Amino acid sequence: MENIIEVKNLEKIFSNQKAIESVDFQVRRGEIFGFLGPSGSGKTTTIKILTGQLVPTGGEALVFGESVSKLKQPAYRKRFGVLTDNSGLYGRLSIYDNLKLYCDLYDVPYAKIGEVLAAVNLQEDEKKRISTLSKGMTQRVTLARALLHEPELLFLDEPTSALDPVNTLHIYEGLRALNKKGTTIFLTTHDMQEAETLCDRVAFLNKGRIQLLDAPGKLKKRFSDSTITVELKSEEKIILPAGAEGAQQLYDYMQANEVETIHSNEPTLGDIFVQVTGRKLA
Amino acid sequence: MTFSWKRVNAIFMKDYKDFSRNFAVSIVIFLSPVLAAIYGRIGVTAIESHYMLINLTFAMVAAFVQSCLIAEEKEKNTLRGLMLSPASTTEILTGKSLLSLVLTLFTILLSMFLAEYKPANIAVVAIAILLSALFYIALGTLLGLFAKSVMEASVIVLPVMVIFSFGTFITSLAEQYPILKAATYLPNIQLLEIGIKVEAGAGFGDVWLQLAVIAAWVVVMFMLTAVVYRKRMVD
Repeated sequence: MENIIEVKNLEKIFSNQKAIESVDFQVRRGEIFGFLGPSGSGKTTTIKILTGQLVPTGGEALVFGESVSKLKQPAYRKRFGVLTDNSGLYGRLSIYDNLKLYCDLYDVPYAKIGEVLAAVNLQEDEKKRISTLSKGMTQRVTLARALLHEPELLFLDEPTSALDPVNTLHIYEGLRALNKKGTTIFLTTHDMQEAETLCDRVAFLNKGRIQLLDAPGKLKKRFSDSTITVELKSEEKIILPAGAEGAQQLYDYMQANEVETIHSNEPTLGDIFVQVTGRKLA
Repeated sequence: MTFSWKRVNAIFMKDYKDFSRNFAVSIVIFLSPVLAAIYGRIGVTAIESHYMLINLTFAMVAAFVQSCLIAEEKEKNTLRGLMLSPASTTEILTGKSLLSLVLTLFTILLSMFLAEYKPANIAVVAIAILLSALFYIALGTLLGLFAKSVMEASVIVLPVMVIFSFGTFITSLAEQYPILKAATYLPNIQLLEIGIKVEAGAGFGDVWLQLAVIAAWVVVMFMLTAVVYRKRMVD
């Protein structure tokens, strides 16, 4: 599959402090790629380099097969979208007027405004001024703006950090629909559940380096201790090996009608992150 | 990529709507017409007074408003959104300058009417004013790019208002202190010279040097602004 992003030995130094070093990864066209790491791990620095907002100190970053320095050219900017933690919306203007500006800049028909507002559950609020919106609503407008021109590649920096569960699910549906249409999504998040729900592959970034990169399912299998937990009706919890020996014991408990619940002991992505990096995601 | 008037107009219309709701900044456009109305009432006729008013409008509307428009885009992170869009540097800077240009020219025309100033050669004065407006807008853009917030822009622009609004003081000071002779090449002094010469019956041929000096200031300021803007595109 074609790579839409290729990063080799990427390095960025700010005032003698390495923000990222020796970062290597590829993002395949059409996938949702999760870039996970705690605050200060270099996620935003990487997004800024990949969108041409920062010049790397060393290494190579290719987007659409071209060096990121080319992203400064207006023709390339039409091909990607960015949602960052800074809303970048005009507070004195309405939601509609904010999106109308970006329709004109990206040469998108105004009819698209209703479509993206429906995708973020704001179709009834288009006349409201940005300055009157809650943080969650503002976040949704920012996302709507990023979706407006259906970019080939969408960078999302913590897209659901300020949202309630209902709107988060709504956003997930919108992102999946966009991904099905062919948009590759590069997502940074602290939320491990979000990464598991949305991402085809995830990379763990810690102290400026990638520690692990794979599909969430494969990582969970790789770090699983191959045991199952059986909760008995007596409220006793028993950990059994997943092999033949465990199967026999489980069979015995089931025959005796003692089993209340059975759980496989797969680690969460959060558990794996802590195991690999020794740090919690926060 | 070709220049798109659609993108320029979109930025202009956005600025117009935003500015019309930003009373803290938009109120400055009334200062010059109010002073001009007073001039008209008390019968001020000195050419220096008319050009002080015109230069004040340049400082207050072209430079101050423009610096605030740019600084606010930076402060609210909206300039980054424009920079990441397909709009080119030229389209963004043209779009961002158009509102200040329209407001400056409208305010000057209104002020001239209220102060009852009728130039002897309208064409020469119109070109001099247009060139000067471009210089002050580029200066305002530059100051806005250096400022981190609207508040900071309002402070940075103060020396500009003092230096460029009161040109006649600089001229008289330059007579006393030769070191200030270079200051007589400032665009506000050149504009005043054009105004005085035009009243004495001068045409294009007599003021080409002053027009060329102002044009040179415009070119230098535009180049400087473009360089700083491109540097601001990357963190």
